[in-house]
Amino acid sequence: MEMDPYVVLGLAPNANDHDIKSAYRRAARRLHPDVNQNNPGAAVQFSDITAAHELLTNVDRRVAYDREAAEAQSENQLTLGFRITPSKRVVGPLSEPQVIYLLAEIIPDPRARDKQEQKHESRLNLTLVLDHSNSMNGSRIDEVKVAAHRIIDQLSPDDIFSVVGFNDFSEVLIPATPVKDKAALKARVSMMNASGGTEIFKGLEAGIAENRTYLGPRLVNHIVLLTDGNTYGDQERSVNLARVVAKEGIAISAMGLGQEWNDEFLDELASATGGTSEYIKSASAVVRFLNDHIRNLSNVFAERVQISVAPDPDVRLESAFKLAPNPQALSITQGYIPLGSLQTTRKISVLLQFEMPADMKAGFRSIARLVLNADILANRRQQHIALSDISLEISESPRPEEPPTAIVDALGKLTLYRMQERAREAIERGDIQEATSRLENLEARLLAMGEVELAQQARSEAQQVAYTNNLSDKGRKALKYQTRHLLLGSSVEEQPE
Amino acid sequence: MKNCPYCGWSHVREGLLFCEECGQPLTTDASVTLPTRDLKSSENINGAVPTWGTTTLSKDSTIVLHIGASEPLTLPAETETILGRRDGASVRLPDLDLTPYGALEKGVSRIHASIQRKDDTLMLVDMGSSNGTHLNGQRLVAEQPRVLRDGDEIRLGKLTVFIYFKG
Repeated sequence: MEMDPYVVLGLAPNANDHDIKSAYRRAARRLHPDVNQNNPGAAVQFSDITAAHELLTNVDRRVAYDREAAEAQSENQLTLGFRITPSKRVVGPLSEPQVIYLLAEIIPDPRARDKQEQKHESRLNLTLVLDHSNSMNGSRIDEVKVAAHRIIDQLSPDDIFSVVGFNDFSEVLIPATPVKDKAALKARVSMMNASGGTEIFKGLEAGIAENRTYLGPRLVNHIVLLTDGNTYGDQERSVNLARVVAKEGIAISAMGLGQEWNDEFLDELASATGGTSEYIKSASAVVRFLNDHIRNLSNVFAERVQISVAPDPDVRLESAFKLAPNPQALSITQGYIPLGSLQTTRKISVLLQFEMPADMKAGFRSIARLVLNADILANRRQQHIALSDISLEISESPRPEEPPTAIVDALGKLTLYRMQERAREAIERGDIQEATSRLENLEARLLAMGEVELAQQARSEAQQVAYTNNLSDKGRKALKYQTRHLLLGSSVEEQPE
Repeated sequence: MKNCPYCGWSHVREGLLFCEECGQPLTTDASVTLPTRDLKSSENINGAVPTWGTTTLSKDSTIVLHIGASEPLTLPAETETILGRRDGASVRLPDLDLTPYGALEKGVSRIHASIQRKDDTLMLVDMGSSNGTHLNGQRLVAEQPRVLRDGDEIRLGKLTVFIYFKG
């Protein structure tokens, strides 16, 4: 049992058996799978409350848990901040469904920054999975080698490092090892040659095997996949594998170089583990991208951050999007949402969109329960859990409220990302007219926001679609990743105080 | 559900902060967000100009065309109006003859473009004209309908027409 059963059931530490039972019944009524058929988040949480109830109603286990918790408490543990801001606090009862947004922010303990200066940084268990297929020939593979050398330079002797190269086959270039002899490691990377095709699954599988050899709760276990090509037939297997390793505590970040790779696949792969996906336009940017990425990993406060969202049975979670630190669309089909690493100096922000039902009764009502899980690396008892029940007031005469600036700001940019997404969906349905008009709307919005270059990109893609019934490879990636990138400039990116 | 004041999309749920269709902000304070729009010259603008007029027509709105300094023209209340230039020889005739506005000199085709009224929206379609149809400076692809907004600038060859919704 790694979670705090008191937190899970919303109980005081001195709760008696009666309190425990009634808290369990109350939560179970809301989270029971029978009333939450289409709500995977509720299923995850239902098993948590059941486990918590079992633990607390067993006297021996409860005493043992309390003793252990008291010991952990006495060690001056670091904590996480979990702050939820709704777009409105009071809504009117309408005869039709309405939308509400929640901004969830996960904030590192400010004391961690001071501690960080005395202690050495978080330890890395890093695996690079590098595409060395034929298409990488020339400057691409050279840049990748330079980038790998720079990464080796940054690593400390306590870090674990491994490199797997793949084309049609996979090859372990550097087996997982502490970073002692940097020159020897670099020499092995330099031997990589470009040849063959691209089979991502094989590379990923071998990379995971290396990462697992040192996999541990006190490490930042991370795989960086870099590819420039499309993989065929093994995408589903790759994503399934990513889901499995996410549970073990490994995150995968995926970097696509050039135009030919499959962005939907790499996005899915990364977001299944809480990692990030990136679009690297040209070989010359590889070194910078990889370096920035690794630098962020060496400054981690908490690992395996994840939230699960269980809306009330009549409320629907429509979408989730990570706004910061790396903007990313999140999958909501799993019941929990992996968010990867929380850095010491930057918060994680997630925007959730819900639909509330028509004809809500006046008064206070809950709309969802959010549970945050994370391993705080500096703590001896790492697992941290925070829970938040969100409730709103339904009132006949809600006072006009300005939605919080952070939400409006982020959403304005997120809407652009959604527009390109909807244009792509229209193309997939074969509705060229709709796709064209969506791209034109996007262009108009981008122009209004002063994003002239991106607006031109949208216009030329609108024309491209009108003539060829599809987006260009380059255009679809530019629109997707650059509209996503706009979120970096929004106010949610501010440093926590 | 409400209509988006910008694009007329009719599925705006309460609580949405941005239109899911056109991306315009739906904040309550309209005076802050209502954009202004300059009427353009008839140059081929190499960078389209955003337009903000409504696309929604009510049942009894009339459509008015302004061509140069002449008296505004009211569009017949038909489902389709073909714009073009009447000429003795052709078999198919346009519904709206633009000859009095210098259509021949300005390169308007005999059958140039059509304005189609569908329920509550208005569409512009280029009918394969020789010199093209531009909407707000963007050239249309032949036979691909585009939604017209109040105040849009249509250019047939070199003849500029502004379209307004009244009522």
